[in-house]
Amino acid sequence: MTLLFRRPSEMRLLVWVAALAVTGSVAVAAAEKTAFDRSQLAVPVAFIVLAVGLHLFLVVRGFRGDQLLLPMAAALSAIGLVLVQRLASSLLANQLQWTLIAAGAFIATILIPRDLTALARFKWMWALLGVALLVSPLLPVIGREVNGARIWIGVGRVTFEPWEAVKILLVIFFAGYLEEYREVIAHPRRFGPIPIPPVPYLLPILAMWLFAMLVVVFEKDLGAALLFLGIFLAMLYLATGESFYTLIGIVLMLIGGVVVYHAFGHVQVRVDTWLKPFSEDLRFGAGYQIVQGLFALANGGLFGAGLGNGMPDRIPVVWSDFVFNAFAEETGFAGALALLALYLLFVYRGMLIALRAPTPFLQLMAGGLSFIVALQTLVIVGGNARLIPLTGITLPFVAYGGSSLVTNWILVALLIRVSDLTARVRGTE
Amino acid sequence: MTPSIASNLRSLTLTIAIAFLVTSFGVGYWTLVASDELSSDPFNPRLVSALRDRPRGQILDSAGGVLAESVRSADGYLRKYRDRTLAHVVGYASFKYGTAGIEAAYSDSLVGQDPGDPLAVWRARYLGERDVPGAVVLGIDPKVQKAAVDALAGRRGAVIALDPRTGAIIASVSYPNFEPNQIVDPATEDLAFQQVNGNVDKPLIDRARAGLYPPGSTFKLITGAAALENGVSPDTKVRVDDPWQADKSWGDYYVRSAAHAHADFTMADAYRLSENIYFAKIGLQVGGQKLAEYASRFGIGAAPRCDIAVAKGQLSNTGTLDRPTLVADTSYGQGELLVSPLQMALVAASIGRGGVMPTPHYANEVRDSAGNTIRTIAPGAAGQVIRPDTAARITTYLVGAVEGPGAFAFGAKIPNVHVAGKTGTAENPAGSPHGWFVGFAPAESPTVAVAVIIENSGQGGVDAAPVGGKVMQAALGR
Amino acid sequence: MEITFGVLLWAVRIAFLLLLYLFLFRAFGVLQRAMATERAQSKPLGTLVVERNPSRTPRVGERFALRATNAIGRDAGNDISLPDEAASARHATLEMRDEEWWIEDLGSTNGTLVNGARIEKRERVRFGDEIAVGRVAMRLER
Repeated sequence: MTLLFRRPSEMRLLVWVAALAVTGSVAVAAAEKTAFDRSQLAVPVAFIVLAVGLHLFLVVRGFRGDQLLLPMAAALSAIGLVLVQRLASSLLANQLQWTLIAAGAFIATILIPRDLTALARFKWMWALLGVALLVSPLLPVIGREVNGARIWIGVGRVTFEPWEAVKILLVIFFAGYLEEYREVIAHPRRFGPIPIPPVPYLLPILAMWLFAMLVVVFEKDLGAALLFLGIFLAMLYLATGESFYTLIGIVLMLIGGVVVYHAFGHVQVRVDTWLKPFSEDLRFGAGYQIVQGLFALANGGLFGAGLGNGMPDRIPVVWSDFVFNAFAEETGFAGALALLALYLLFVYRGMLIALRAPTPFLQLMAGGLSFIVALQTLVIVGGNARLIPLTGITLPFVAYGGSSLVTNWILVALLIRVSDLTARVRGTE
Repeated sequence: MTPSIASNLRSLTLTIAIAFLVTSFGVGYWTLVASDELSSDPFNPRLVSALRDRPRGQILDSAGGVLAESVRSADGYLRKYRDRTLAHVVGYASFKYGTAGIEAAYSDSLVGQDPGDPLAVWRARYLGERDVPGAVVLGIDPKVQKAAVDALAGRRGAVIALDPRTGAIIASVSYPNFEPNQIVDPATEDLAFQQVNGNVDKPLIDRARAGLYPPGSTFKLITGAAALENGVSPDTKVRVDDPWQADKSWGDYYVRSAAHAHADFTMADAYRLSENIYFAKIGLQVGGQKLAEYASRFGIGAAPRCDIAVAKGQLSNTGTLDRPTLVADTSYGQGELLVSPLQMALVAASIGRGGVMPTPHYANEVRDSAGNTIRTIAPGAAGQVIRPDTAARITTYLVGAVEGPGAFAFGAKIPNVHVAGKTGTAENPAGSPHGWFVGFAPAESPTVAVAVIIENSGQGGVDAAPVGGKVMQAALGR
Repeated sequence: MEITFGVLLWAVRIAFLLLLYLFLFRAFGVLQRAMATERAQSKPLGTLVVERNPSRTPRVGERFALRATNAIGRDAGNDISLPDEAASARHATLEMRDEEWWIEDLGSTNGTLVNGARIEKRERVRFGDEIAVGRVAMRLER
């Protein structure tokens, strides 16, 4: 019996998550009809069962190490379910199904591969797989075009965004590669203060990265391009500590941005609506979404309009692009701040896991994975709050979207595995 | 040595934390700082829904007549306005073009969330329960309003009448006006708004409170009061020879007498015959600084506190009277002076009320849906502007300006009532002069004060006086 | 009845916000405790104990706590600095991979020995093995 309490903090936190899920669901359900519909409670209950199931799975496997990531990912997913229930209740069943699949992917990642370091050994395979996945939306049969972007693949009615999986593969590949060639890349010859990068060694990762960029630019998925760039620069910095590389990278990105702005119409539109969304010609056309999003934020105030009380449904495609604004409208700045704090805590925990990891590969991988969550959150919330142009990235765990959910839960599983390995090697709990 | 991955991790985490902080500031800006501005954006669907899906409260005049109400139409509630002559006061509430007038100033009260009823505000915000809206009752007296409209008879200008005892505005006319029903009707709103907005005659401006004109001789109320309290004796005769200048340094500038007078004037004579040179002389005797001080006491150059915004006006371009020619010019009401009719009505009201200036307000009370009064609007007096004895003296002179022999303001006479008043003819660089009249009645203890301006009138103040008289008569007949 | 429902709904909404913050604080508390536990309980990945050294530093018996990657050499910037003439400035790297320890010779003049045998480039070392760099011999222990 005491075996069940091997991961007590995790269990205690999951109780809070359960309370959160139920409260949110009740608030949304009750606000819709002034009567109380018991059947709506099935969703949070099903989710809680799922989360507890994952917790028990970890207990049975004797997992040690971090007990924070699972409850936090569960909390975020629970909030996501509440918001989908609020904003697009017809999609709720779909989101729950994907949550189930994500749980399955989580379990699968915990079980296979048996040895984390195998990931480092097969880095070129991951690179190849990444390439294949990136190119797949362009293929005839399974590639699908949605809203002018060719980033989906589908089998039957199920659609998937492969670039989400590629971001993880990229991190693993970079981590493996950088660990192996770290010494050389990190001690470049210097020309005064400026390092001269050893090009032959940088070439493979540069090539891989460049390919990824070109593909997503070609597929008109600028959010993914931004993410890949960020991952590349971050991992390079983690491995070498050369801020100079990062600086060059950012400069190149800005130059690339200007080029892309002039070359692609849809980029121009995105930037123009970012700069002047309220201008007469944009506010009812391309800028309508961001304008409505800002109206929603304004309605939030400090404590929000109340769950179910705002009008977030006026934002087009709010359930996947603007969930943050919907949440901020109904729970106010207080709620939005708590959500951001939750993400920051998640990333912070991931970075701590990376710090304590025993090998450079694991350190780089865990750091990269945590960075993915940080960058994704910052880019989408930044776009939602008009700090940067809007992109098509989704808010991790919370926004509606199956591919994002599955890959992010795989990410969590990988981080937990690193933490478990560290605990075993270092002899801590 | 290579900086360890560990230290790189730490720097990266720090950078991420800072980025999150910046993002929270960004979010905070939109939710907290820019919140009000965006919430009142006319295209915010929340605002539209609030206007269209729920009935808005009624706006009533002092007799209970309905001036504005929400009627059910095919797609929600529509606002209907009953009196076009009050368009500037009542305003309009349009989804597209926002709100104006009382509709704007009492917007919260009209949707049942008057600050005087905190429970209703709380229920709406937190429980989502919207009360059936109440009503706003204005001080406008329909009989006086009608008299004012008829008296102005479609001439460009404004009439404003208020009760000096309370500051309640009982009539307000501004011409040209516009038809507010067209602005709020979705079918006609775009065309109508374009037309009124682009109209050269500027019908959207409420000339009664937002029109700024040189006051002309009506300013002499202030000059005389300032003189009496600064050592000028009203019975001392002052020589008037038209035209007049103090010394050669004035160059081409002369003060001109309307009657080309060459005589000795007492203050009573000067008021009766509106003698510019007299007032220029005593104005100089008082001095620019003191004159400016008294003008500011009477609110010249500032906007009085009022539920709907009033224009500010000015004493002079710089705010001071630093040149003797300017002092002289200002003393008889020209110079660089700009005032609103409402401001001059307040000046008249102060004189009539023994030197106490009232605070103007259009609305008198806010009621809830059941008709109970939630809040009474009764701001106290703005302050004691001049001594009661000064006010009494000026009143005597103003009565003389209406009833005395040769008085310019004879048109304002009312049978069996002593009327105090003053006409003014304001030089207008852009065309023929404007005609002013300010006054109050009954002179001993006034219950109404009025200001009239007729733009580019043929005979100046002489045209304006009868309008004032009719308005006051209607007010007294109530 | 309507008023109580309204109040109830409002209470649920407030509860949601409160629970969110409480969860956040709880999670932060768990993190603090986890960090403290990890710091307190953590055993080093490994230790190098100096067995033989003809020069005075490092002393025989001195223990070096190992990190994931450890640079060994004569240069003072190394993680394990051995001021021995026979050691090269950057002599070898002792690194943990796949939960195993690996020693890699960085092209040193006199080579690196494991249990007396000179290694080629990289060699696995187990706990109890002796590593010789220059004239300093150290044993790898837990």
